[in-house]
Amino acid sequence: MSAEQPVVVADRPTHGEPRPYHFPRFERNELSNGLGLITVHLPGRALLAASLVLPSGAVDEPAAQAGATSLMARSLSEGTKHHDAIGLTEATERLGASLHAEAGWDGFSISVEVPGERLGEALGLAAEIATEPTFPSADVDRLRDERMNDLLQAKADPRRRADDGFVNTIYAAGTAYGRPSAGTEQTVPGLDAAVLAALHARRLDPARMTLIVGGDLEAVGGDVRSIAESRFGAWAPNPAAEAPSKPRVESARHERIVRVIHREGSVQTEIRVGHVGVPRLIPDFHAVSVMSAILGGLFNSRLNRKLREEKGYTYGAGAGFDLRRGAGPFAVRAAVNTEVTVPAIVDILAELELMRATPPSSAELHAARDYLVGVFPLRFETPPPVVGAIAGLYIHGLPLDELDRYRPSIEAVTAADVQAAAERHIHTDELAIVLVGDADAILPALEGAAVGPITVEREELPGQSA
Amino acid sequence: MLVPTVAFSETRLPNGLRLIISEDHLAPVAAVNVWYNVGSKHEVKGKTGFAHLFEHVMFQGSAHVGKAEHIALVQAAGGTMNGTTWLDRTNYFETMPSHQLELALWLEADRMGTLLDALSQENLDNQREVVKNEKRWSYDNRPYGSWVEKMLGSVFPEGHPYHHPTIGSMADLDAASIEDVSAFFRLHYAPNNAVISVVGDVEPEQVRAWVARYFGAIPANPSLPVPLPDMSLPPTLGGEIRTVVPDRVPLPRIHWGFRGPIFGDPRLDALDLAGQILAGGKGSRLHRRLVREERLAQDVALFSMGLVAGASVTAGWATARPGVDLVQLETAFWEELERMGREPVSEDELARAKALTEADELGALQRVDEKADRLSMYATLFNDAGMVNSILPRYLSTTAEQIQAVCRDVFVPDNRIVLTYVPAGAEAAPGAENTGTA
Repeated sequence: MSAEQPVVVADRPTHGEPRPYHFPRFERNELSNGLGLITVHLPGRALLAASLVLPSGAVDEPAAQAGATSLMARSLSEGTKHHDAIGLTEATERLGASLHAEAGWDGFSISVEVPGERLGEALGLAAEIATEPTFPSADVDRLRDERMNDLLQAKADPRRRADDGFVNTIYAAGTAYGRPSAGTEQTVPGLDAAVLAALHARRLDPARMTLIVGGDLEAVGGDVRSIAESRFGAWAPNPAAEAPSKPRVESARHERIVRVIHREGSVQTEIRVGHVGVPRLIPDFHAVSVMSAILGGLFNSRLNRKLREEKGYTYGAGAGFDLRRGAGPFAVRAAVNTEVTVPAIVDILAELELMRATPPSSAELHAARDYLVGVFPLRFETPPPVVGAIAGLYIHGLPLDELDRYRPSIEAVTAADVQAAAERHIHTDELAIVLVGDADAILPALEGAAVGPITVEREELPGQSA
Repeated sequence: MLVPTVAFSETRLPNGLRLIISEDHLAPVAAVNVWYNVGSKHEVKGKTGFAHLFEHVMFQGSAHVGKAEHIALVQAAGGTMNGTTWLDRTNYFETMPSHQLELALWLEADRMGTLLDALSQENLDNQREVVKNEKRWSYDNRPYGSWVEKMLGSVFPEGHPYHHPTIGSMADLDAASIEDVSAFFRLHYAPNNAVISVVGDVEPEQVRAWVARYFGAIPANPSLPVPLPDMSLPPTLGGEIRTVVPDRVPLPRIHWGFRGPIFGDPRLDALDLAGQILAGGKGSRLHRRLVREERLAQDVALFSMGLVAGASVTAGWATARPGVDLVQLETAFWEELERMGREPVSEDELARAKALTEADELGALQRVDEKADRLSMYATLFNDAGMVNSILPRYLSTTAEQIQAVCRDVFVPDNRIVLTYVPAGAEAAPGAENTGTA
């Protein structure tokens, strides 16, 4: 090989013909008790996923019982009328299955992954914890204590401290989203087996729930509807069950604020900048998705490009809207080395202003749209995310063709739509700037930068030497 | 349950690049995974953290790709990508819509062939700062964040290539020069030091043609492989190592570490199953006793990090509940480990551990990215990509006696590291100074 011969090919290849793709087709049925059943056949996917979904979550619980839905979900597998906790775990493991229940802000689900030929037995265990939990007092108390300990750990972890400090800064007292969804030091001690049993009786109702089963249904060796009917059909509808609420969301403030939570000697500052955002059901959802990708979603988003790739201030910066039934938070997130805290904040504020001030370039618009459209099939390679996306339709009350309309709707977003979404949903004069870091190191520069009125908290953090 | 066999072909280009192809047309997706046989074990004193810093530089452009453009092109094509560094290797990977596969191959070839054409002091300085912030974020500013460094530093003696963690030290990162980066690239980044796996909705003939076209003219480095110092070690530490670590944590946590068999040794398979039986889920022995029954711990863990020479690291921890006597916690943890060496696990425990292992494998092999990563891993570390299919039968044929035997060898007091994290200012807490329970 001569020295002049190039070692690589200079010309970037063009792409081939895309294989036609659509979100996997699913079929809706209903069991005799009103439980919805969605089946989605994914050939070759022998490890099935199933999820029993209720569109009601932590946002629907009374403030005085904050954390009850989360603790109820965790307690379901502590015992049923037929199995104690260990018996249930062992029965699940013998199937090569996983079984777990969880509650989010808007929904509650019991999820299973299991090899296809054992679907019936795994659904039987899921039905047991859904319909016949016993909430043994001693185990509920243990899980409650573990949650209290977890709250201690959260205070010591700068990331979790910043996330919790941010939401309780932006939401008014009384708005559920202002607290952690698994409850607070004030509410968790009041949770016990009786509270959880009452919540279970008030919420779960087959007529309001949907079972979604995805994977290679030919591996099941039977008709999924009959299997589901045999496992869930005897579960009586619960006419007393409460419908999910319309969350009441109130912003705490309508002006700038800087809140510094002191962590002595911290080598980084955890930064959160944002305010109350928007709910999932908004007419410009697709424009918001493209705008968020450009601002803080893509690797080459404006924030990551500026703070990481130009300045080296951080391992990663991002931003986004947490889209819930009510207006979830909008936040910019980054952890930066202490010395550059203020310049990083100044850059973040400038990027937020710029997002509103001008439309994105054509290159930015295309990069974001092409990514969101192109990555869509990659997201749904295996059963769990397919089942999860369908569950999302039920949790948010979206039309069943929403996922089919996603790609064309993203492709239709224009530069003007993106700017309009930024103007509508980013409010630079109402930003809360929440910092967890060494206040003594960052305050002088912070005061000089005049980004907003500053409050400083010096409460003692666990494990911080006096 | 039947875990399907992964069918693949393996060829080698004249420049030494190994190419593994496996077809899977279920989804319109293709994965590319390039493993370079270079990791933090190749770093020398004063240059720790180099392999990982270099991984960042690989995203800063090459002859025909601008800074950060690699990622921009992959994302605009609807793909995902990343790179990772470990003690034994560095890898780079893309998952693409299958009609965009050729772009990923071209991008990997361009940086394998021409990285130094685009290398600049500015980009190196920028990524050095990014990596230092990664270190702060992942280790220095995180509760209990120092345990990996302390564990590696104790399992492996000073001077051993596994003694230091991949992230390196701040001083060494500061000292890294552009000459260092160039030398590192010239030495390690050559086709005869790499394996590329392409898995998914692909036509093998077409892939072979593309790989030949894009990678075929990149010259081999005849001085490879790079000789490593003798990495062999005695099978045990030969003594207990105990350290109390004050940290900004509200709850004490005890970390345990052991020298274990190397990756590839069937005894490590048995130790993996022991880890599942001891700490995998709430039916496991440690979880049942420490978390559920005696309520000493908030959480427990036990697992092995497989390494190919000298020894692997078997690590565990238990976070104490408030007010718990650490001696009692340590005693209970240790009794369960010792019991594993004293008596065989029950048939049912073993059957459950195997059922979960099999289901995990079934789930993992449903993903093209995971298949590509494993093919490259087994080819790089063991020169045997077929281990992607033979590893599961190995696990499934492991006996209770084999598990007992490896636990008897590994879980002994003179092979034990105990790091006790305590809230700063409470170093004299009861139990923190105890001298062991064996």
